[in-house]
Parts: sequence; C-alpha cells; structure tokens
Amino acid sequence: MDAARIDPARFDALYRKYLAQVYNFAVYELGDHHEAEDATERTFLSALAGLTGFEERARPEDGLEASTFRIWLFQIARNVVAERRRRQRRRPEAPLEIASEAPDPADLEDAVVRRELATAAWGAVDRLTGDRRRAVVLRFVHEMTTAEIASILGRSEGAVRVLIHRGLRRVAGELRAPDRDPR
Amino acid sequence: MNIGATTRDGENEAFVVDGYLESLLSRTPADATDLAPELREAAAALAAGLPRYHPSFRFEESLAQRLAEAAAAMGPAAEPVAGAASAVTPFPRAPITDGALDGRAGAFRPAVIGGVLTSAALSLAGAAYVAWRRGRPAADPMARAIRAAARRRTA
Repeated sequence: MDAARIDPARFDALYRKYLAQVYNFAVYELGDHHEAEDATERTFLSALAGLTGFEERARPEDGLEASTFRIWLFQIARNVVAERRRRQRRRPEAPLEIASEAPDPADLEDAVVRRELATAAWGAVDRLTGDRRRAVVLRFVHEMTTAEIASILGRSEGAVRVLIHRGLRRVAGELRAPDRDPR
Repeated sequence: MNIGATTRDGENEAFVVDGYLESLLSRTPADATDLAPELREAAAALAAGLPRYHPSFRFEESLAQRLAEAAAAMGPAAEPVAGAASAVTPFPRAPITDGALDGRAGAFRPAVIGGVLTSAALSLAGAAYVAWRRGRPAADPMARAIRAAARRRTA
C-alpha cells in the first residue's frame, strides 16, 4: 500500500489483488458484464487518482497485514455503481446466469439438487432490494465482516446485522415456499 | 404488543445469526440449535450457491495497461513516506558553477534512487564515467595499441 502511494507504478499489485472482488461486486449490482467492466475500470482509475488521499485506519493491533484499503476501494466502487444506476434508471430484467460447473457423473443427482438450490438462492437474493441485498452479497460472496460492510455502506454494525438477518429470513421464506420460482 | 421488546428480540436474533454466519464462512459451522433450521439452510445455500464472477483475461490485461499508463503520467509522489524502500538521494554535486549542464547557473536536480532512476541521473552518470575514463592512464599496452589504431582510422 505504502509502495503504491510512493510510486503509482506499484499500484498494479493492488489492482491484481482486488480486481476480481470489485468486478464481482459490480456484476451483482449492475447485472450486466459490460456495465460491470466499465464500473470496475472507473473504480480503479478513481482509486489510482485518489491514492495519495487514502488514509490507513487499521491499527497495529489489527495485525500486520490489516488494511482498510479494501473498504476504501469498495466505497469508491459503491459510488461508481450508484452513479451508473442513476444514469440507467433501471436494472436489467434478465437475471445473470449462474456459473455452471460440470458435475461428477457419479454424483449427478446430488449435483442437480445443489444446482437447483443455488439457482433458487440466487433468485431470492436478486429479489432483495437496496442495502439489504448489498449487505447479503458482501457477507456471502465477499465474505466480509459486519464491521467491513458497515464501513462500506455507511451504517452501524447493528444495522448491518439486522439487514442481513432480514435478508436471510426473506431468502429462507422463498426457499421454503412450495411454489418457488427457480430462476 | 411491546414494539420495543420485539425490536430488541430482532436485534438479539440478528446478533446470533451474525455469530453463526461468522462460523459458517470460516468453514467451521457452529452448532446453532437455537437458530431456526430454515435460516441455517438458507445460510448454507447462500454460502455455497452464490456464484463468483471473474473478469476476462483480456479485460484484466487491457485495464492493467490503462492503469500503468495513468500511473506513468502521474509519476512518483514528491514526498516519500517515512521508512519506505525508495528515498530521494541527492546526486553528488559536480564541481560545475557555470551551468554547463542545463544552462541554469548553479542548477541541481535530485534523482530518485531505489525507485525510479531518472534520465537526468543517467546522463550525469554517463558524463562522469566518460570524464573518469579520459583521466585514467591507459596502462595496458594492448589497449594503447587498439586506441592508436582507432585514432589512425578516424584520422
């Protein structure tokens, strides 16, 4: 991090480390790979331009490798995505395709059940709205802590816990519904 | 109905869920028997089922190139962070007072050593090397013969 601040050419290491995460966040937010690429590009260019303004808030007791850079980067990504959504004024109706994996033939039935459940879970998450959806995705896809999500969304940790809890309840309700619509 | 108590119950359950998710995402799911089974199932489905997307290699490299260009245009930061690997080190002052190098009397330009070696530093180093070579006596007879042959050719 410090190396990149001294010499922007060293930003590449940070870029490689966080590219997939930022892109993934953008895909979930925008629902379109091309839009996600544009948002990712803008996020990293903005981060590079504002690198000298980044303030490390991790404390020594947080650990040697601890850094608040990811939170700062996701705050930028969130703003970029929000700006793009304001311009779009709509989200695409077509859901993203779930990445398919080749099932083991010996485990075919189990694989089919898991895939159906995953599709249903994704559909249920996709129907959540706003910060509830965002918090669930950051928690389950990016495996962020409640504290990290709270910093990114600008909310208290308690509020984030409630958002995730309600989101999970909603998803659970949909997964249990007999006439669920697996998208 | 006590709304305050309901809210507190909700917050408490959210706290329990959060602890369970922490264990689930650490791949060591806790035995959360006090948690509703449907919540545990939903959490497991989300933890295992939500896909991760990765950008294409082409996009990754193309953006890396753009960032490298943008970084090169920015140049290194003027003030280095204390304790960093790179440091601005003044190049030894040459005994030049008439501004022969860049036309400005007494001009002196620091070079960044350890991070980026600037072109100014390279040209100064080149000039110093040539001056050192010229001032050094050619002790090797073979070298003297080669130089004499070269002088004859150019003459």
